[in-house]
Amino acid sequence: MSKDSLNKNIDISVDFAGLRLKNPVLTASGTCGYADELSDFFDVSGLGGFITKSITLQPRAGNPTPRVVETDSGMLNAIGLANIGLERFIAEKLPIIRELSTAVFVNVAGKSIEEYVAVIGKLAQDDGIAGFELNISCPNVKEGGITFGTDPAQVTKITKAAKDVAAGKPLVVKLTPAVTDITVTAQAAVDGGADALSLINTFTAMAINIETQKPILANRTGGLSGPAIKPIAVYLVNKVYNEVAGPAGVPIMGLGGIRNASDAIEFLLAGATTVAVGTASFAQPQTAMRVVEGIRQYCQRRKIAKVEDLIGHLQ
Amino acid sequence: MEKNQSVTKGIFTAEVVANTVVRDCFRRISLVLDADGSSAFAEAMPGQFAELDMCGAALPVGSAIPKELADCASRQIILRRPFSFADITVKGGSQIELTILYHVLGPATVRMTTLQAGDRLSVIGPLGNGFSLPRSKKTALLVAGGMGSPPLEHLSRFLRDTQPNLDVQFFAGARTLENFPFRANTNAGVSVSEFSHLQGKIHLATDDGSAGFTGFVTDHVAKWLKDNAPVTDDTIIYACGPEPMLAGIAKLAGDKKIDCEVSMERMMACGIGLCQSCAVKATSAGDSVYKLCCKDGPVFDSEDVVFE
Repeated sequence: MSKDSLNKNIDISVDFAGLRLKNPVLTASGTCGYADELSDFFDVSGLGGFITKSITLQPRAGNPTPRVVETDSGMLNAIGLANIGLERFIAEKLPIIRELSTAVFVNVAGKSIEEYVAVIGKLAQDDGIAGFELNISCPNVKEGGITFGTDPAQVTKITKAAKDVAAGKPLVVKLTPAVTDITVTAQAAVDGGADALSLINTFTAMAINIETQKPILANRTGGLSGPAIKPIAVYLVNKVYNEVAGPAGVPIMGLGGIRNASDAIEFLLAGATTVAVGTASFAQPQTAMRVVEGIRQYCQRRKIAKVEDLIGHLQ
Repeated sequence: MEKNQSVTKGIFTAEVVANTVVRDCFRRISLVLDADGSSAFAEAMPGQFAELDMCGAALPVGSAIPKELADCASRQIILRRPFSFADITVKGGSQIELTILYHVLGPATVRMTTLQAGDRLSVIGPLGNGFSLPRSKKTALLVAGGMGSPPLEHLSRFLRDTQPNLDVQFFAGARTLENFPFRANTNAGVSVSEFSHLQGKIHLATDDGSAGFTGFVTDHVAKWLKDNAPVTDDTIIYACGPEPMLAGIAKLAGDKKIDCEVSMERMMACGIGLCQSCAVKATSAGDSVYKLCCKDGPVFDSEDVVFE
């Protein structure tokens, strides 16, 4: 059998929150803009899915600079949810997004449940949007964000409120690792009707300039991402898969430090149905497409007919 | 305004031609781009930049790492680093050679020192907006603070080729003579080999008076403007350097009603508009907004930037 014909026989599509995705690889919110930026480097339609930068009801300017700093095998960011706001998103970015033949999830953030509901309600009828990701785990804003994501009762409440206005579109709830037991917030999201869970968001962290004796980031703290957090992310995905998501039949999108197919396959084996590439896209914009190809090659080498057979296959 | 942006950005492979010491921790590296990269960079303008991937480059062995960088050198890097160009030249008809002047001061640039002729690295570019061309001007003042000289070196060579009749004056400031990122001969007048093509004069300023004017480069420019009184409408200032110096130049230009462009610097994770980290506070139609250094800059009209 030739290499090409074997490739065609490997099914790398996955069922995720009621959608059939062409492959399990997405790009993570806040690391891939609104798709037009990445389109300079590859055809975004080759992705399993695409998650927009967070959208809030009103535009947000974001935090003062420095907003990022590289750390050992990682980076801190404190962008502060800088975004163009719902109105300009609809006018300027939705027309571009509608042209993509990949599943586009709009990541939604807000200061109050009413804001989340307003944004999702306004976008829910749009055919160009496959679903929503609820950002209740941003560590870099004073109100909303992570304050919702650490309180199980709030997680259930906001998930339910968002689900009610999502017009049947799948709702992914993005979890923070900054809790004592992530299975509690995962269960809270499932109880609220989440169609999928994405984990993990960044860890709140700090880097200090020892000459000025001040934090490097203007926001003082930022979210740690990149390869430094990957082993923790794999562990937490496995824990949530075993204790909450697996039994409830709710799929997981795994993310945290993925920069190649090997990293992605670890997440699939740990229990993730899909993976998202984040920080790695900054240095290598085409990383996500390389991950897709690497997963295909792994399946071929291991004689795995369906990528779905890998999910939670940890021995 | 003249076109100042090359739009065909992409990810390309470049081969190292030379990597040499200028002085102390200042080095110059020359890279020849592959065929696709050469066509993308053929129209690149002074002030634009590229993101270089040094993640795979080796650290120098043990004692070859400068002592003051030993701690940070051990850090595993994951991001590219942005560099403007000291020059872009055409080799053998269509191959584009980028020359980058760099200052060895962290884990990426210390790795950069080990790159040798024949090594290959990944380059994303050309990125951002460069300087606009002073078609209607008679005098251009190029003002560099510290490590700000590379894009102005590129600009000065570009202006010699495109506007040979333009009076170009180059001002450079540093704390002391040893801190200039080039070797200056200060015996009979000032000469700098990198700026030997310059038809105008080279003016150095040092905080400690070890070369040229004693004081800040901004004060040196102010004095020159007072002494020479060029027609303001016929004059433009291009500046690159530390932000307090750019703020000083912007204020001077504003007071004198002289057009001025400044090249800004920010910490960037990507350089291609994905991360939103390189915000520059600016005014737009009277409102205060954040612009992106990577996409809206790095060169800005000095009147648009809100210096803090």
